[in-house]
Amino acid sequence: MSLKARQSKEKRFQFAGLAAISIGLLCLVMLFASVLSAGLPAFQQTFIKLTFNLPADKLDKSGNRNPQEMKKVSTIGYTKVITEQLKLNLTKAGLEFDQLSKKELKNMISKEAPAQVRYAVLEDPSLLDREFEMVLLANGRIDGYYKGRVTKKSAELDVMVSPKQLELADQMKRAGILETRFNGRFFYWPDASDLRPEAAGLGVALLGSFYMVLIVLVLAVPLAVCTAIFLEEFAPKNRFTDLIEINISNLAAVPSIVFGILGLSLFINFMDLPQSAPIVGGLCLTLMTLPTVIIAARASIKAVPPSIKAAALGLGASKVQAVFHHVLPSAAPGILTGTIIGLAQALGETAPLLLIGMVAFVREYPSLSPEGIFEPATALPVQLYNWTVRGDPAFVERASGAIIVLLVFMITMNLLAIVLRKRFERRW
Amino acid sequence: MLDTTVDNMIEEKPKIIARDVKVVYGDKEALRDVSLDVMDKTVTAFIGPSGCGKSTFLRCFNRMNDTIANCRVSGSLIYDGQEISAHDPVTLRARIGMVFQKPNPFPKSIYDNVAYGPRIHGLSKNKADLDGIVEKALRRGALWDEVKDRLHETGTGLSGGQQQRLCIARAIATEPEVLLMDEPCSALDPIATAQIEELINELKQSYSVVIVTHSMQQAARVSQKTAFFHLGNLVEYNDTGDIFTKPSDPRTESYITGRIG
Repeated sequence: MSLKARQSKEKRFQFAGLAAISIGLLCLVMLFASVLSAGLPAFQQTFIKLTFNLPADKLDKSGNRNPQEMKKVSTIGYTKVITEQLKLNLTKAGLEFDQLSKKELKNMISKEAPAQVRYAVLEDPSLLDREFEMVLLANGRIDGYYKGRVTKKSAELDVMVSPKQLELADQMKRAGILETRFNGRFFYWPDASDLRPEAAGLGVALLGSFYMVLIVLVLAVPLAVCTAIFLEEFAPKNRFTDLIEINISNLAAVPSIVFGILGLSLFINFMDLPQSAPIVGGLCLTLMTLPTVIIAARASIKAVPPSIKAAALGLGASKVQAVFHHVLPSAAPGILTGTIIGLAQALGETAPLLLIGMVAFVREYPSLSPEGIFEPATALPVQLYNWTVRGDPAFVERASGAIIVLLVFMITMNLLAIVLRKRFERRW
Repeated sequence: MLDTTVDNMIEEKPKIIARDVKVVYGDKEALRDVSLDVMDKTVTAFIGPSGCGKSTFLRCFNRMNDTIANCRVSGSLIYDGQEISAHDPVTLRARIGMVFQKPNPFPKSIYDNVAYGPRIHGLSKNKADLDGIVEKALRRGALWDEVKDRLHETGTGLSGGQQQRLCIARAIATEPEVLLMDEPCSALDPIATAQIEELINELKQSYSVVIVTHSMQQAARVSQKTAFFHLGNLVEYNDTGDIFTKPSDPRTESYITGRIG
C-alpha cells in the first residue's frame, strides 16, 4: 500500500471517529434541550395569594374550636367559603368578576386548595375569624396558561377552562394576587389525582426510592463483596466455581423485568410480603444489582497485584489477614465505584417495580420509622412513567420535571464514582 | 576468599535440613530429589538458569508453595527439629522471612510497612515498644537515616533500592532466624544492588540468609555456600570458592563459564 493511501486511510478513520462523536454530542444536546425545556416549568407553579377571614359560624358550628368537631365540615364546605373569600379579595382589588359563572370562579383555584385550607384550620383553629394570608395553588389550566401550554384560543374548546377565567387571571396577575414562581412542593408533596396535576409532587416517590436504594446498599453490597472475595481468593478453581462464575455473568445480562417476575412470585406470592412496598422493590433491585457489583468487585480484587498478598503471607499473615488487611483496602476504590454505579442502575430501574405493584397510586407517605419499608410507596422512575400515561399535559410536564430530578441524581452518583476513583486510584 | 575460609571454620549445626525434596506442579516435575543443609549465619546462594527450580526450592522453606494450587511438595524438610510441613505456616513464616524479586511494599506508610509483621504476631507491648522495633529493623535494613524524617509517608514513594531495603527491614522486623531472598536485586540498578549486597553481608552476622540469584558474580560476592541447580536437579552444592574455582561437575563448569544458561 502506498504511503499516500495509508495516510488517507488514517484521515478517513479520524474523520469517521470525529463524526461519530459529534453525532453523539448532538444527540446529548438534543436530549438535554428537550428534557430541560419540557421539564423546567415543572419546578414553577402559579399561586394565588388571598387574605382570608374565615367565618367561624360556618366552619365551627359548635363554636368551641374543638378540631374533632370541626372535622365534620368537609372540603365541600370549605370550597364554598374559599370562593366567597376569593370574591372579597377580588372586590377589594377592584376587579370585575360578574361575567364569570359561579363554577368558573370556583375553578380559578385548584381543587387541592380546600383540603389545604381545611388542614391548616384543623391544625390551628385560632385562624378562624381573623385575618391571615394564605397562598393557594391556582388551577392547573391557569398555570398552563402562564407556561404556554394553554392559550385563550385553546381555552374556548376546553371544558376545564374558559377564556374569561384566563382574562381574570391576567387581571389578578396585574393586581399582584396571582404569581408564577418556584414550587418547592414539587419535591415533597405526594402524587395527586388526575383532576389536580398542579398539586402532584415527588415526595412519596423520592422517599420510596430512597428506601429501596438503602435496602440495596445494605443487602447487595456486603453480599456482593463477600461473594467476590470468596470466589477470587478462597474458592477452589473447579467446575462448580466455574459454573457459578458463568451464571453470575449471565445474571448481569438478564432483562430486569425478569427480576420483577421473580420478585412477584417469590417475595409477594410465596413469602407474602406486602405489594407496592419498598422492601419488595428493594429485594428485587438487590437481586438485579448483585451481579453488577460482584463483577466490579471481582475485577478490582483481581487488579490488586499478587505481590502484595505474597508479601503479607511471607510475613506470616493468615490468608484472611492478607485479604482483609491488604487486598481489600487496595480494591476498595474499585468496589466503591462499582457499588455506586450499581446503585444508580437500581435507582433508575422501572420494569421490575411495575410488576410488584409499585405503579399504584400512592398518596400517603410511608412512615419514616423502619416499618415504612413495608408500607406502600412508589419510586422515582415509576412515578415518572405513571405521569406520562395520564391525559393532562400538565402531568407530562411534571414527568419531564421528574426526569430532570432523576438525571440529577444519576449524574451526581456517577460523578461521585469518578471522583472517588480518581482520588483513590493507586499506581503500582 | 580469606573471608570465606574464616566463616567455614565457625560453621555450626545446619539450620534447615532438606532430604529428597521433590516438587510437582500438576504433572510437571519442577524439582527432583534435592538434599542439602542450610547453615546458620551463612549466606547460601542458589544459582542456575531460569526454570531450574531454585526459586521453587526456596519457596519450600517457608511453605509459600502452599499458596499455589496443584503444587505438591514431598520429601523431608527439617527446621528446628521438626518437619516444615508440621509447622504452622503463620509462625513458620514469622521465623523464616522472605524478600521477593520485585520490591513489594504495602501501599501504606513506611512505618506501617515495617510494623505490620510485629503487629500481627503481637511482638510489641505498646506503641513505644513498636517504635523501637521499627527503628531497629530500619537501622538493620540500612534505611533508617534515609527515612527517619518521613516514616509516615507512603512506602511506594521510595526509590526501587530503598523499597527493597524497606522490604528487607519489614522481613527482619519479626526477628526471623532465616531470611529467604528470591532474586532481590534483579529489579535494581548497580548502585542499589551494591547497597543490598553490603546489607546481606551484615545480615549474615545474625541470620541464615538464602539467596536465589541469576548473577554468578553476585553469588561469588555475597555467599559462602553455593548450590547449582539445573533442570530441577541439584547438581552441586559446595563452598562458594570451590564451586567457582574447581567445580566437580561438568554442567557446573559449563554454566559458570557461560556455555549453558
